[in-house]
Amino acid sequence: MSSIGKGDLILEIADLAVDVQGQRILDGVNLAVRAGEVHAIMGPNGAGKSTLSQLLAGRSGYEVKRGTVRYLGEDLLTLPAEERARRGLFLGFQYPVEIPGVNNVYLLKAALNARRRQHGLPEVDAFDFLGLVRDKMRLMQIDESFLSRGVNEGFSGGEKKRNEILQMTILEPTLAILDETDSGLDIDALKVVAHGVNGLRREDRAVVLVTHYQRLLDHIVPDRVHVLVGGRILKSGDRDLALELERRGYDWVRQEATAA
Amino acid sequence: MSAVAQSVTALARLGGAQAGLPGGPRSDERRRAALQRLVALGLPTPRDEAWKYTNLRLLERRDLAPAPPRPLPAGALSALPPRQGPTLVFVDGRFHPALSSTALPDGVEFTPLATLLAGELPPAIEARVGAGDSVDERIRLMNAALLGDGALLTFTAGRTPELPLHLVHVATGGGAYPRLLVSIEAGAAARLVEYHLTLGDSDSVAIPVTDLVLGASARLEHYSIGLAGPRAIQLEDVAVRLDRDAEYQHLHVGLGGQLARLDLRVRLEGHGAATQLAGLFIADRSRQLDIRTRIDHLAAHTTSDQVYRGVANDRGRGSYDGMVVVHPGAIKADSQQSSRNLLLGPQASIDARPQLEIKADDVKCSHGAATGALDEQMLFYLLSRGLDRDTARALLTFAFAGDVITRLRVPELRPFVAERVLGSLPTAPLIREFVQ
Repeated sequence: MSSIGKGDLILEIADLAVDVQGQRILDGVNLAVRAGEVHAIMGPNGAGKSTLSQLLAGRSGYEVKRGTVRYLGEDLLTLPAEERARRGLFLGFQYPVEIPGVNNVYLLKAALNARRRQHGLPEVDAFDFLGLVRDKMRLMQIDESFLSRGVNEGFSGGEKKRNEILQMTILEPTLAILDETDSGLDIDALKVVAHGVNGLRREDRAVVLVTHYQRLLDHIVPDRVHVLVGGRILKSGDRDLALELERRGYDWVRQEATAA
Repeated sequence: MSAVAQSVTALARLGGAQAGLPGGPRSDERRRAALQRLVALGLPTPRDEAWKYTNLRLLERRDLAPAPPRPLPAGALSALPPRQGPTLVFVDGRFHPALSSTALPDGVEFTPLATLLAGELPPAIEARVGAGDSVDERIRLMNAALLGDGALLTFTAGRTPELPLHLVHVATGGGAYPRLLVSIEAGAAARLVEYHLTLGDSDSVAIPVTDLVLGASARLEHYSIGLAGPRAIQLEDVAVRLDRDAEYQHLHVGLGGQLARLDLRVRLEGHGAATQLAGLFIADRSRQLDIRTRIDHLAAHTTSDQVYRGVANDRGRGSYDGMVVVHPGAIKADSQQSSRNLLLGPQASIDARPQLEIKADDVKCSHGAATGALDEQMLFYLLSRGLDRDTARALLTFAFAGDVITRLRVPELRPFVAERVLGSLPTAPLIREFVQ
């Protein structure tokens, strides 16, 4: 679908400051994500992790005070949410909503066709599509009843998260942002989710994992780990940084930053 | 001239219209008495508590005289879905044998009311046709004053037909005042599907009144599909009485009319009686669609459940006004009431007023109402998957209505109603594929 090569810049955030209802939530975020990479953004509650995820996906209600966000070289913030999705940006929600009356499969098909139209491809064949969905459902260990149910309708927390990953594996996004996808999952579900994400790793794609705990990173090994505290990325490193955070908490990062 | 005086003048003119109606001297006398009481009371106005949300001024400029018999053009019933089961057709309130099924299944007895009006009515029927005179029953008085036909239907136990009985009401312009008297005998079960149509955009005024009596352990599934034209007025009044362990389900779909109102009163008189009421209206263009329910819990262990959904678009208006009364002695009564409404435009409006009056101890009652725009979180979720805004909005609107559509248990009704609901949404083509 694209001519993105390993190392190409997919997402570039520069000095991003964002207010929510008059409160400064993000205060100078800098981040560069390149094709082929998996980044983890970690941080305590209230650090601004979800604001960043939702803002990138195009949710309204955020006031950008300064800075820029470029996605595949374009100004991301001027694009409406649906346009971002069609260009290959995917948000896995922390709290996926239930939409009774809108069928799971219909949503998936409409989403995939919206993406295909963007690339000048014909709509997916209904029969092939169902085969694809069934394959991915097996991969994500999702029950057959999913096909006839409303979006996330009556799903448990774990089922909702697996559905997010199912959608992701079908849409094959260029940039997947997974917001606390690991929260509320038992270890078996966590492995299933990790398996789905690892299957997506490719040289022309990137993944941003937003998470509170490092246990997801045992299963999806990130290239870079960033610590978001108080609306800023205070420290970046490799996988060992996540292990250190697990051991020592977040306070030392804050103190180190203040001292510097 | 005041609104009340105007309405009285309009009503008094109806004396002349009574002359040609079928029946003997007793029927004439009954109709005259009803009109007299009605003139004394006047038409309801929004100052009446029960009519707070419905303004009947429209009625004053309409010809209320019963429509004269006229032939029905071919294709008049083409709007209806294919039907499994027998059909009885009423044109302007009059039974139309040529368009109706000739044979009814065992266990169903049908008599056109006009054939009974000529003589003395059996006392039980007389009591039901001679409407009460309380202020709340003025619509029933109007029906009683101009009553010419309708149906007496009895479902007997042990020979319950599987298929539903369809009642089709067609209004061709002018007044229609049918009366349905339905008995579901002890232990019997029945399904009734009513369709309300008008011919083209005729300015008909239909005031159908229905009395339903359910014997012990009787069951009735009752569907009412409102498809009247853009200039039609319909004021429907349904009263239901339930004996011990009887169960009554009513599902109302309101998609038509310039002004359409349903008054639904259910009396749970016997121990363990239960009722489930559900409804959906879509008030698009400048329609006014109102629903008023009243449920009386009069015995122990009675249950009631209400689920009403309203959508208003353009300059449409609607209301849900629901009252549940739990009377002394109705211990262990269980009552749920939910009204959710969706406003799709800045000029659309819906009033919701769920009310509870509890005069007994040890009961379980809940009620809730919410009116607003489409859910922002749901909308964002769909957009974040690449759906365009119009499609996402259309889907969510249809899904909102789907809450009630999925409760239609007559197989042919579900696709039919879904299609009609879709047709009333401006963005239907975007999601048609999804619905089929």
